[in-house]
Parts: sequence; C-alpha cells; structure tokens
Amino acid sequence: MPAGHGVRCRTRDSFSRPFRKKGYIALTTYLRTYKIGDYVDVKVNGAVHKGMPHKFYHGRTGRIWNVTKHAIGVEVNKQVGNRIIRKRIHVRIEHVQPSRCTEEIRMRKIQNDKLKAEAKARGEKISTKRQPEGPKPGFMVEGATLETVTPIPYDVVNDLKGGY
Amino acid sequence: MISSRVCNCLSFISLPSSLSLCRPLVSLLFQSSKSAAAMAFVKAQKSKAYFKRYQVKYKRRRDGKTDYRARIRLINQDKNKYNTPKYRFVVRFSNKYIVAQIISASIAGDLVLAAAYSHELPRYGLEVGLTNYAAAYCTGLLLARRVLKMLEMDQEYEGNVEATGEDFSVEPAETRRPFRALLDVGLVRTTTGNRVFGALKGALDGGLDIPHSDKRFAGFSKDSKQLDADVHRKYIYGGHVAAYMRTLMEDEPEKYQSHFCEYIKKGLEADDLEGLYKKVHAAIRADPSMKKTDKQPPKEHKRFNLRKLTYEERKAKLVERLNALNSAAGMDDDDEEDDE
Repeated sequence: MPAGHGVRCRTRDSFSRPFRKKGYIALTTYLRTYKIGDYVDVKVNGAVHKGMPHKFYHGRTGRIWNVTKHAIGVEVNKQVGNRIIRKRIHVRIEHVQPSRCTEEIRMRKIQNDKLKAEAKARGEKISTKRQPEGPKPGFMVEGATLETVTPIPYDVVNDLKGGY
Repeated sequence: MISSRVCNCLSFISLPSSLSLCRPLVSLLFQSSKSAAAMAFVKAQKSKAYFKRYQVKYKRRRDGKTDYRARIRLINQDKNKYNTPKYRFVVRFSNKYIVAQIISASIAGDLVLAAAYSHELPRYGLEVGLTNYAAAYCTGLLLARRVLKMLEMDQEYEGNVEATGEDFSVEPAETRRPFRALLDVGLVRTTTGNRVFGALKGALDGGLDIPHSDKRFAGFSKDSKQLDADVHRKYIYGGHVAAYMRTLMEDEPEKYQSHFCEYIKKGLEADDLEGLYKKVHAAIRADPSMKKTDKQPPKEHKRFNLRKLTYEERKAKLVERLNALNSAAGMDDDDEEDDE
C-alpha cells in the first residue's frame, strides 16, 4: 500500500497527549482571554478534535487577528516556495497558548520606563540600551605552580618492553 | 509496545462519556503481563510498573467533589465576550445545611459574588427543618434578594412575591437586563422534586434569570407532562412535611415525638408551617443583607491532619529506633554502634 498523505498523516506522536496527561483538559485553557494583536503559540491538543489546525502550524507562533465564540484567528507565516505568506487560520482555544515571545520586551519596557522616570527625577541622563557582553576582564591566576616538562632521550629498550 | 498504544486508543475513544476508572487497569493488563498471566489468588498486586504508569485524576475528582465535564461546560465563556463573567448559581447540600452561592470562575480561583446559608434562616424566623425543600426555597430566595440588593437591582426585579408554585421567569425591565446565572447542581442526581430545584425556584421567584424548565420541580407529573402548581406550592410551604406530621401524630405518636422533637420544642404544629414560611419569605424580602457574626476566629487554628515532621525530628526518630533495636539485640552483641 502506498503511503497516505491525509490531513493528519505523520501526526502520531506530535498530536498525542503527553505521558500521564491524558483525559480532561485543565480549565485555564478555557478561562484565558485573548485580544486581537496578542501573540499565541499554536500547539495541537489531540484530545479535542474540533478546530484543529493543520499539522504544519503545530509549534508556530502568530498574531491574533480575529476572536470568535470558541476559536481564535491566528496569522502565521508560512514559506511557500520562494516567499513567505501570511496565512490566516482559525483555531479553537484548546490548541492555542499565550506566547511568551514578547514577554521579555514588555518587561524590559516597563523596567526602562521606571528607570527613565527615576533618572529624570534625579536629573541625569541614562541609556537604557542593552549592551552585548564584552570580552571578559583580565585576572591573575592564583596558586599556580610551575611544572617544567622537558623531553627525555628515546630509550628503545623501555619502549619495546610492552610487546613486539 | 504496540499493544499498549492500542489500549490507549481504546480508552481514549470511550472517554467523552464518563470519568473512566478503567484506564489504569487496562494498561495494567497489557503492561505488566507477569501479574496478569498468573491471575491466581497470590499475584494480584499492583506492581511498580502499574504505579509508574498510573495517571492520577484531578484532586477534586479524587475527592469526588467536582464534576469536571459539567464544570467545563458551565464556565466556558464565549471568547468574543472577553472578560465578562459567567455566573453559576451553586447549590450544595450537607447533612445539616444548605449552601447557595453565586460564583464566577477565574484562573486564580473562583470568586464568590454572594452566598446564602440555611444556617442564616433562624435570623428570619425559621429554626427547624433547615435542609428540606421549603428551606431550600428560602435559601435560594435569600441569595437572589441579596445579590439583587448588592447590585442595586432589587427595586426593578421584585420577582414573584406570592409563591404560587407556577413556573415563573423574570421579565426584562426597562433599564437593566436581569441578573443571569446558570444552575450548578454538583454531583446530585437531578430527579423530579429534588431540593436543588427548590432552591432554584426560590432564586427564580427572587428575581434572578436562570434558564430552566419546570420538568424537575416537585409536582411535575410525567404522565400529563405538566407541572401541578398546587403540589409545588405545597412543597414550597412545607406541605409535605406537614402531611407527614399529621399522619405520624395519628398512627405513631411516639415516632412523631422522636422525629419532630425540635418542631415540638418550638411549638410548631402541622398547620403552623405554611404561615411560618410565609413570614420567613416576607422577612427575607425585607432585609436580605448579610450580617457578620460576632464570633471571633479561634486563636489557635484547629488541625485536622497530622503535622509533618521536620528533618531533625525524623532523624531523631530514626536514631531512637536504631538505639532501641541495638539495645534489644545488644544482649548478644558485644559492640554497639550508635548511629549519631
């Protein structure tokens, strides 16, 4: 029999529920609210058959462009040939998790705003730019003993003792 | 391992209907073939493999308190309604009391908007029979009036002042729409005439908008497919209790004395009940606010389970046990080592 190419082909492992996490879905997935413009990860939950995205989108992250009663419209990038298309899919909330990709930026923004406000109060200028890690500073090596190693003349007898 | 995959698929398919307890045991049969093969009296243990593969149910399911299938469906809010709360009218019965609450769900934990307990009913004049159908009606009514007062809707939505037992639904008023909640029964078997529906009727007459049908009210007959409003009204006013009191008084006076001793102490006869409940309803409508008790919380929190031992305590216990063992065996032994 030839290999099939159905919609859910080759998804035996990726769509299966993790070990000892089968059965009911935790209620937080249903309680979360999503707004247009948020970033979400698409991660298929094999226990819910409705509103499943195609296996290509499993593990992709995209922006929300639509919110309906039980599903969310997500805009995901897909490379087709020599270009990237922005594809719009609708996915049920069970297959979606809020993405933490923007979390660092948002935290940093709040932090920077706070620092800038404090600096303004003090009247000095600060740069909130992130700096890349530079070369490590120099240091003295402590507790080092010098062991001088010199070559010894080649001793045939000793060398061949092991075996011919 | 293919067999285990197959068995997992099987249990997966049968899942939607109920909480399948058979899942771990099915895996047991396929996985630990050693114990299954013997199938004699001896080998019926749960092997290490069984425990390694066992998936525990949710905590509240293990406690037998929450029906997650129902909970998911009650809590789920349309995503395009964003943060609008979805309220559940929760009714639970203990052996002595009734609890009615309006709860909305959140990720941190459910938030109770308002609660009414049947142990508050003595404040309104009802001291006995705090778990019967009539008390459930009173508790539901109390909760409804309390919530509406809290939200300042109680003038608009009077509900059904005179409890007739007929099916009553709130009409939307001009300015605000009625307060909507969904009945959360819990794990109770919803038979016709269950006290849960007594509480539901109380809340409906109080002015809440709860989607319902009259099929499960006391007094609904399956044959005629109609709610007999008179029968329902009897139940709301404790008519069924009064009838039982009358029959007992005639047939078995001693049993009447023992069974209804609290009623007798308060001087309640079978005919007084209806008047009593009418007064309680009026008192509830007059002042449904919650009153804080003057009881202080106990200074020392009562423990219901054993305190966990600290690391030092456990080590000390071990040392004690070893010493005891060594001294017991010490008659024979010459050298004893104290494990300090």
